[in-house]
Amino acid sequence: MQPIEERPLRVLLAKLGMDTHTVGVTVIAHALREAGMEVIFTGLKQTPAMVASAAIQEDVDVVGVSTLSAGHTRSLPTLARLLREAGAGDKLLLAGGVIPEEDRPLLEEAGVDRIFTMGADTRDIVAYLNQWRATRREERD
Amino acid sequence: MDVARELLSGNVLAGARAIRWLDDRDRRGAQVLSSVFPHTGRAQIIGVTGPPGAGKSTLANAMITEQRRRGRRVGVVAIDPTSPFSGGAILGDRVRMARHTLDPGVFIRSVGTRGHAGGLSRSTHDTCLILDAMGYDVIFVETVGVGQDEIDIVALAHTTIIIGVPGLGDEVQAIKAGLMEVGDVFVINKADREGYEATRQQFELMLHLREEARPADAFDWSPPLLPAVATRDEGIAGIIDATDRHGSKLRDSGEFARMSGRRERAQALALMGEEMLRIAMERADAEVLSAVEARQIDPYEAARLLVHRLSPVQEE
Ligand code: B12
Ligand SMILES: Nc1nc2c(ncn2[C@@H]2O[C@H](COP(=O)(O)OP(=O)(O)OP(=O)(O)O)[C@@H](O)[C@H]2O)c(=O)[nH]1
Ligand SMILES: [Mg+2]
Repeated sequence: MQPIEERPLRVLLAKLGMDTHTVGVTVIAHALREAGMEVIFTGLKQTPAMVASAAIQEDVDVVGVSTLSAGHTRSLPTLARLLREAGAGDKLLLAGGVIPEEDRPLLEEAGVDRIFTMGADTRDIVAYLNQWRATRREERD
Repeated sequence: MDVARELLSGNVLAGARAIRWLDDRDRRGAQVLSSVFPHTGRAQIIGVTGPPGAGKSTLANAMITEQRRRGRRVGVVAIDPTSPFSGGAILGDRVRMARHTLDPGVFIRSVGTRGHAGGLSRSTHDTCLILDAMGYDVIFVETVGVGQDEIDIVALAHTTIIIGVPGLGDEVQAIKAGLMEVGDVFVINKADREGYEATRQQFELMLHLREEARPADAFDWSPPLLPAVATRDEGIAGIIDATDRHGSKLRDSGEFARMSGRRERAQALALMGEEMLRIAMERADAEVLSAVEARQIDPYEAARLLVHRLSPVQEE
């Protein structure tokens, strides 16, 4: 018997700045819900500080940013730093959308754990999250 | 991190973690709750309920602003349904409250129902206690969009705001909802919409009937009926005036403390029920179960025997 997951993974999905592309984030939200996760959507026009604050109030495991209108080389490192400074550096930080190859090293260096771009299969994203969860240390204080 | 001590001093990270443990039924949650319980019982819990899309989140957003103007710290618990198929959820209420995200005097938490019926999550009561212990003066609880039976909020909240909107099949909405008997403050939101006057008349009639049927010994409160346009922050001060008056009246009469007491009593009984069920299931007598499986005895007889053969539970 497989009862409803008592401790679902909680994921915050956010859109930063003036980026109004919503299709990708909607696809991801539904895929994660179908995979049994709790998805909290912040809405559009968020700042890195707002995303960090919401992530802490919601005590999510994962913060996912969907970015298709550039600006990510500044906003994502800022978000990673704010989370760390607030004592929430243990949250997994994901980014998706239109992110050129050449930006990857900078983002990864700054603390973005994984990047999914155009055409990423949602099943791979779900599998990645489930695997991350399984290998993460059980007691997280 | 000493989660209990940290949250009492207002540490958001700690409070958020305690709420997560309680929501996840992690045993550390109950430990934290025990430590902070003596520091609870102060906050006014205000339920915000009404049909899907009535503007509960938008109204909560406007009411937070008004409470902040009055100098209060505000906690919010916003509940959305969990998918019964996947166990997952998309929790979107906080989108409408985004302007408060960076206000250190506001804490917003989204929760899924996780299979719980009644319009709240199983953890909502606990979450309110944690927010209370963290020092939030007012706690808004936004229920899932309710139908008829989802009125658990009334047992939890000190003050319940029922939201109606024009043109939702007026009388059906008001009468069938079963909500008319339980609200403390009635708001017709989207008063900018066509059909407002007809809806107002419907509500007025229902409230009038309710007044007439009120037992003489009931709490002396006549629910006001107020218009609002949540998207334009209109009518909000009037609503908070009403919830303030209701709160003061509850406190002055001693009813506030009695309500909180009744709530904890109900919670204790509910928790006992859960625990008893768990224990009973674990200890169900195998012989009896085989007998009923072999159709040697009927299910009623089996149930009676199962209860009889339960061994007493030892205190740990
Ligand atoms: C549809 C579209 C629009 C629509 C958006 C409608 C809407 N409501 O979303 C409209 C027409 C409104 C629009 C407007 C604009 N757009 Co446009 N748009 C597109 C287009 C064609 C497709 C985007 C899309 O929906 N893809 C489908 C979804 C499913 O894919 P996705 O978002 O990439 O998501 C996948 C992955 O990236 C990943 N993912 C995404 N987010 C996340 C998040 C997490 C946490 C994870 C794990 C994974 C993940 O998973 C998804 C599934 O595989 C792209 C072209 C492209 N190749 O992407 C341009 C594109 C994004 N747009 C672009 C631009 C410039 C604009 C405009 C600024 C002006 C213009 N020239 O049109 C405006 C302004 C919008 C604004 N203010 O942000 C550029 C951006 C350039 C850049 N970043 O350097 C693009 C790349 C086109 C181009 N080649 O120039 N756009
Ligand atoms: N015209 C008008 N629209 C409003 C008003 N208040 C809210 N809305 C709109 O009604 C829609 C639903 O608002 P929400 O606040 O999300 O409603 P809700 O009751 O929280 O919805 P659920 O949580 O999904 O049940 C949004 O598009 C709002 O902008 C109002 O006073 N007037
Ligand atoms: Mg809502």
